[in-house]
Amino acid sequence: MSVLKRMYRGETDFDFVGAAQKTLIVSAVLVVLSLVLLVSRPLNLSIDFTGGTVVVAVNETDATVEQVRAAMSDIGLAGARVQLTGEGFIRVQTEALEAGPQDEMIAAVGGVAGVSVNEVTVSAVGPSFGEEVRNAALLALGIFLLVVSLYITWRFEWKMALAALAALFHDLIITGGIFAAFQFVVSPATVIAVLTIMGYSLYDTVVVFDKVNENVEHMQDRYNYTEIVNTSMNEVLMRSINTSLTSLLPVGSLLIIGSLAFGAETLREFALALFVGISLGTYSSIFVATPLLARWKEREEEWERARRRVDRRRATGQMEREPVAAVAVADDSVMTEEPAAQAPTAPPAGSGATGAMPRPPKKRKKRR
Amino acid sequence: MLITLLLTLLIAFGSFAAMLLAGWAPKLGLDLQGGFAVVLVSPEGTDEDTLDTAVEVMRRRVEELGAVQEPEIFVEGDRRIVVQLPGVEDRERALRAVGTTGEMSFRAVIDIVPESPYFTNPDGDHPPNINPETGLSDPDDVNEVGYLEAEDSFAIYVVSPAFLTGVDMEGGDAQFSSSTSHGGGAGGWIVIPGFTSEGGEKFRNATGTLATFSVGSPQRQLAIVVDGVVQSAPAVAQDVNPAEGLDPDQVVITIGISENPQQEAEDLAAILKYGALPTTFERERVESISASLGEDSLRAGLIAGLIGLVLVAIYMILYYRVLGVVAVGGLIVFGAFLVGALVLLGETQGTTLTLAGVTGIIVSIGITLDSSIVYFERIKEEYHAGRPLRPAVDHAFPGAFSTNLKGDTVTLLAALLLWVLAIGPVKGFALTLGLATVIDVVVAWFYTRSATWLLAHSRMLDGGWFSIRGAMARGPDEPAHEDLVAVDA
Repeated sequence: MSVLKRMYRGETDFDFVGAAQKTLIVSAVLVVLSLVLLVSRPLNLSIDFTGGTVVVAVNETDATVEQVRAAMSDIGLAGARVQLTGEGFIRVQTEALEAGPQDEMIAAVGGVAGVSVNEVTVSAVGPSFGEEVRNAALLALGIFLLVVSLYITWRFEWKMALAALAALFHDLIITGGIFAAFQFVVSPATVIAVLTIMGYSLYDTVVVFDKVNENVEHMQDRYNYTEIVNTSMNEVLMRSINTSLTSLLPVGSLLIIGSLAFGAETLREFALALFVGISLGTYSSIFVATPLLARWKEREEEWERARRRVDRRRATGQMEREPVAAVAVADDSVMTEEPAAQAPTAPPAGSGATGAMPRPPKKRKKRR
Repeated sequence: MLITLLLTLLIAFGSFAAMLLAGWAPKLGLDLQGGFAVVLVSPEGTDEDTLDTAVEVMRRRVEELGAVQEPEIFVEGDRRIVVQLPGVEDRERALRAVGTTGEMSFRAVIDIVPESPYFTNPDGDHPPNINPETGLSDPDDVNEVGYLEAEDSFAIYVVSPAFLTGVDMEGGDAQFSSSTSHGGGAGGWIVIPGFTSEGGEKFRNATGTLATFSVGSPQRQLAIVVDGVVQSAPAVAQDVNPAEGLDPDQVVITIGISENPQQEAEDLAAILKYGALPTTFERERVESISASLGEDSLRAGLIAGLIGLVLVAIYMILYYRVLGVVAVGGLIVFGAFLVGALVLLGETQGTTLTLAGVTGIIVSIGITLDSSIVYFERIKEEYHAGRPLRPAVDHAFPGAFSTNLKGDTVTLLAALLLWVLAIGPVKGFALTLGLATVIDVVVAWFYTRSATWLLAHSRMLDGGWFSIRGAMARGPDEPAHEDLVAVDA
């Protein structure tokens, strides 16, 4: 059976925690690289944050917003904000420009408005998304992270809260790194995209952790923590893939249309931040948050004892079962070995991840 | 279940249709629809910090007016502030909010006269801040004796220099008072100002002094002045001990006769809450402005959303068969609820939808589908673990719902905190996010659960490729688990 088919049937048995030894290194390298990039090439902030220049001219030609924006695109100022005022003025706002490009812009605005360069006024504008807005947003974020940590600690445990935060920062830093590397413009819309990513990343991690906790309850006698984590992740794998696919399809079409369609630059950068962030959010729940948690929990005394107990039982043949993650499922094993579930001490081998917790036969008879 | 489903659909689409019939549509933001701009000029030589403070005070006042207006406020040149606001409704109110200096002072009344002495004697000497045409202080200087008009009478108040100003105050609260004890006639809107501890002390001392004057004398009255107009001038009651003065917690400002006293009270409270502007501004001009993004961007966003939606629908139906149809239907119900909520907020609170908001909704498609996906995967899991199909459908829901609830709680926490703490565009985002999360839970519980249950009790449970069993990822050649269990039994 092909891997895809097994995935569709929910019968995969990938060793996520084992693979994470490599992926965690990749993630760590990417995070460090992003941090270096963020320091060495500061983010390209939009005029909403930095302020800039505003150019105003009388609109003699009755130019439309689209026409003015086209003229701005031609001189490489696609991000300029163009407005027409009720009194017949064209108003174009851009980031602060050097003398040369500024003259070019004045000429372009004058050209499209049909007035001479002398009749175009230029002045400086301050940021509309100033320090206070930024500080308020940062304060909100800080308190949010604290409250979410408390919530996860309350519902699950504090180690899960820390692992979830690690995954969150992983996603945010790498997204920031990509924006720094390519010098994409960071606008208030991008900030909102980042907030969406945060929510998504946490939501995704919570869903995976919920599964892990649920499985711990009925698997802890027979399996060690790493195995339980692997089983859980195989169980939620299709859910994770489907959810990220259904999130990425609309964002992807936004990205493509934003890149193709004229005048949708705002859309493009917003969609890009979302696309990268959602992909990372799914990836990090599986390859960062949960493996980190597994390693950490394995060091706990209780789980170390559990591991030894499980190993001992397997060695003495009480439990003829290999660790879930390590065994390769025979293609046809699912059906043929299912009746073995009658013997509670010997669960069926390799019925895939979902088969790892067969229900006791008693229960089934009851229903029939 | 059928009734639950029908009721949910009825509420979702009924309210949606009602909005369409009423001609209501979501209010679009500044970037998509344009709005108007007011340019304010400060006196020559105003420094940068003062302008920055003024921008922040204006922003908070505008946000206090409605839920989210998402104004764009910035400094232009050396002494101008540009305020851009979406929409055109309540323009005057917004203009007042940004333009009113909001300088408040508490003064002792020296005399109440029918006309200013400078008005009746226009040729006589007068202080430099007295306008010879009206005989009134213009501008009013809180450190000088003032000749001021009153909000709700034609009398002219001669008042002392201020013993208390805006710096001694913090906060303000608009309330409706039904009692007549505040001197507001048969009840009405009042504003309760908050004092700093130092301000409270000053207030006690000053009212103690006023209490030494004889009852009935105008000098027993306390004038509350906002921007050079006496808002109200209550007299200190007869039983107040001059040694103690009045309790500052008992101070109220009554709102005089006005078209909309509630609005006026709220506006005054907002002004008190965020303090006075650090300098006076003159309105240079008000003009309408066009959308900065224009229709092409909005169209591009909507087309992208539509394409994404179609792709998602195809994928979901191929993958989950008839359950996919349920999920896509859930998305439509979700959309109807969300648009309805946004329209309602737009009508009542002035909430506007910017391009970022529109795209945020597109993004929520995937996140909304997740509650269905978690449920369906769980049905599959239960089924693969040996539960017969129909019980698996019933049994999978509580667990899936609890998972969704945990995830949604995190998201809702984020939305609430951002809503309370953040300002500007982030606040608008928080609103959309919070709404979407709540609606997600509602749709999962009322729609997805009942629709899936109904399907599981119909022919669609077991009827080939498209049925629920068809979505369970087992070919017809493989016997389902319960057949084996039947042998066991």
